[in-house]
Amino acid sequence: MYRKQVRRRRAVLALLIVGSFALLTITYGQGSSSLQRGVTAIFAPASSVLDRALKPARDLINWVDETFDARGKNHDLEEELRVARKQAVGGKAAIAENAELHKLLKFDQSGAIPEGTEPVTGRVIGLSPTVWYSTVIVDVGSGSGVAVNDPVVNGDGLIGRVTAVTGSTAQVMLLSDHSSKISVRIVPAGVQGMVKATVGEPERLVLGFLNSVKNIHKGESVVTAGWHSEGIESRFPPNIPVGEVTKATLVEQEAQERSIVRPYADLRNLDTVQVLTGGAHQ
Amino acid sequence: MILTPKIVARLVIVGIFGVLLQLTFFSQVELFHVSPDVLPALVVSFGLLGGTMTGAVSGFAIGFLLDCLLIQPLGGASLVLIAVGYAAGTFRERFEIHSRLVAPLMCAILTFLAELGFGAVEAMFGIETDVSVLVVRDILIKSIFAFFLGWAIYAGMRRLVRPALVDEATVRRTRRPTVLGA
Repeated sequence: MYRKQVRRRRAVLALLIVGSFALLTITYGQGSSSLQRGVTAIFAPASSVLDRALKPARDLINWVDETFDARGKNHDLEEELRVARKQAVGGKAAIAENAELHKLLKFDQSGAIPEGTEPVTGRVIGLSPTVWYSTVIVDVGSGSGVAVNDPVVNGDGLIGRVTAVTGSTAQVMLLSDHSSKISVRIVPAGVQGMVKATVGEPERLVLGFLNSVKNIHKGESVVTAGWHSEGIESRFPPNIPVGEVTKATLVEQEAQERSIVRPYADLRNLDTVQVLTGGAHQ
Repeated sequence: MILTPKIVARLVIVGIFGVLLQLTFFSQVELFHVSPDVLPALVVSFGLLGGTMTGAVSGFAIGFLLDCLLIQPLGGASLVLIAVGYAAGTFRERFEIHSRLVAPLMCAILTFLAELGFGAVEAMFGIETDVSVLVVRDILIKSIFAFFLGWAIYAGMRRLVRPALVDEATVRRTRRPTVLGA
């Protein structure tokens, strides 16, 4: 009797494992299956209601976290302010650079949304729980005109692109996902490159250069370049703000031909986003 | 655990609610820059209360629902959570759970292993970029969260399925009756 029970348990376990591997093999690399579309259609309304209901509780916890963070940052910010004051009187070059950055900050309001695209506003209703995947689920899907590869932005800049859609939801792969690669241009230097993520550090993107003799500097802005090639699936329209160069020492550039970029968008706290639909990137 | 239709229905509701709560709440809050992952702890609770089969089947179902709702390749999360549920169930069947610390400790340890497992599944298909050492910090903090959340989840689950627990029935039977006027 006991042996029979053990055999049955092992059989069920083997079946579950084989089933998981089979599902993984069948569905890997595909956008979304009809099964997933059905399940999300059933649960999307419940997710949306829960998301709205739990927002005050989420905000409270995030406020506590940010308060702890702010206390730690206070000293650093004072130091930064002292350095910034010195730099502010540093000459016309710095002022011009400041004006350029200021202009770029306004870019999103004035014309960051590329021509020919229709922004569709959505809310983040789900987030992957593990550090290994950086995807979010938004409550707009093909029913609202959202399609795979549509760029997704928030008030600060680019956050990622749509990688799968169902009727009422879409999966957005964030810039911090390990398989995200974006062709970018550094402003005003004009250097072209490719931005990739660092798993576990959403605020650290690695910028690889493409044979340029120009040097780039800390604080310069990074925008989408708009081209794609083999290995880079980015089909973003040009000039969407991506981030800011935070580390670009000459030694590092020469030795490794790469630099560090911090995305403008806070990829850890996403709430309302815009999917730029109907662009020429399709 | 004696699985009656009522108890199974309760477990299904808890599983669905757990996944929705993870996606809409826990994944979107941060403490020390880390979001808690309650799903391994939930599967551990299923395994510790119901044994290997309940643990493995619930792990598969919860992983499957998670992958469906996140529009991810199906099977990856299931694979990891089956192992978590089965391990917790095996522990339940081989050892007596005497201390209240066992459940939260199991939640912490198996969450740690589950996060490594998610990484291993992802690595199986190729990670094309740098992996920061901060991943280790993230996993460790998630495990600490799992310790505390696991405590509450296990207690809540135990209360929810109390009528079906074999050891609870034994305790109820052996409890002495109150003798009035003694």
